[in-house]
Amino acid sequence: MKHDIVGNPDYGQLRVYLDPGDRFIAEGGSMAWMGSSIQSKARMLGGVGKALFRKVTGGESLFVGEYFTDRGGEVAFSPAQPGTVMRRTMNGDSFMLTAGAFMACTPGIELATKFGGARSIFSGEGLFLLQCSGSGELFFNSYGSILEKEVDGSFIVDTSHVVAWEPSLSYSIQGMGGIKSTLLSGEGLVMNFSGNGTIYLQTRTMPGLASWLTPFAK
Amino acid sequence: MRVEIADNGAFGSALVHLRPGEEFVSEGGSMFRASSNVDIDVTTRTRGSGGVMSGIKRMMGGEHFFFSKYSVTDGQDAQVGLAPRLQGQVALIKCDGMTRWLCAGGSYLGSGADLAIDTQFQGLRGALSGESLFFLAVQGAGPLIVNAFGKITPLDIQGELTIDTGHVVAFQESLEYSIGKAGGSWVSSFLTSEGLVMHFKGHGRVYVQSHNPSEFGKTLGPLLPKRN
Repeated sequence: MKHDIVGNPDYGQLRVYLDPGDRFIAEGGSMAWMGSSIQSKARMLGGVGKALFRKVTGGESLFVGEYFTDRGGEVAFSPAQPGTVMRRTMNGDSFMLTAGAFMACTPGIELATKFGGARSIFSGEGLFLLQCSGSGELFFNSYGSILEKEVDGSFIVDTSHVVAWEPSLSYSIQGMGGIKSTLLSGEGLVMNFSGNGTIYLQTRTMPGLASWLTPFAK
Repeated sequence: MRVEIADNGAFGSALVHLRPGEEFVSEGGSMFRASSNVDIDVTTRTRGSGGVMSGIKRMMGGEHFFFSKYSVTDGQDAQVGLAPRLQGQVALIKCDGMTRWLCAGGSYLGSGADLAIDTQFQGLRGALSGESLFFLAVQGAGPLIVNAFGKITPLDIQGELTIDTGHVVAFQESLEYSIGKAGGSWVSSFLTSEGLVMHFKGHGRVYVQSHNPSEFGKTLGPLLPKRN
């Protein structure tokens, strides 16, 4: 199996070359084109219960597509929104994705939905998380480009700009500045990360685009 | 104070490096990352401009009522990352204090706190056309960060140039400018929906954006479900 990410940082797309016997899993609806030798079937990741729970809480598709071939061939996946596609090679470690950031993986990756903590309810931004673990290749995507930031100490991020982070980091959710600033600055709540590890940020948000567009709706 | 522009393709953003004692101002809601020694305050004013009325004027122009103001809480260097809502490039304009800059309302992302910002409406014509034509007048020396819808291009005008208002990001006030119609009568201008243009004359720099945000909004808006 070979992977190729083309079009970053603006219009990232994932192309996968499958050898006979390979299997690949991608978010439902993300297949853009594929060779005639590629077969696919819908699958619920981790069984019905887990998939339903993930659909209700994590915002990811209930069904994922599983792609395989007996002759070899190419399949391309495009995220719903323009932006960056990233790959992470997992070696038995784990990795945190925010809702909507999951794109695709090889079969050795396990996905589990985590609740972002009681305080995340108040963020209004749906802070549900996917914990990815196992071994293999994991692909995730953003709206906008992705900035990588190595945190050593503590670091503040607007909740809606967080894409993913390494679980060696812990976080708390807080207001930015005092009460007045939290309510009036338009920043809403922020996540304060601490520890050592890498965090991935997206430079745009879908709610931001929606709020810009709303006044144009008739 | 140093401004870094990151990933300047379809989704540009700015990273502002602050030294202790330095302050920066941005459009409300545009901060997406900050070092933990940054404090944020809200303000309707920046140095030399005025109070609640300026906030109301900003709201009428489709902007946030408040600016956000960032300061450093300790003796360390600090960083604030700013990103606009629409996709497109971000540009840094180094204001030299010699000429004022006028920045289209939707194109302002942030500026050094030493720059004075005032809101200027462009008279009755802007109101009649249905386009919210207002500019932020930026005076003083320091960094001004603007965002564009699409690609941003600097044009150095020597002589005359006419630009559709929806494509103007910012320009130096050393240029003479007037707001008018693209050509023909007001009726034909209305019927062809060419909208308003700005006629520039003299010497100075204009930043233009490759796409017109309100045309994009008018194309996509009617496709959205009806507002309740």
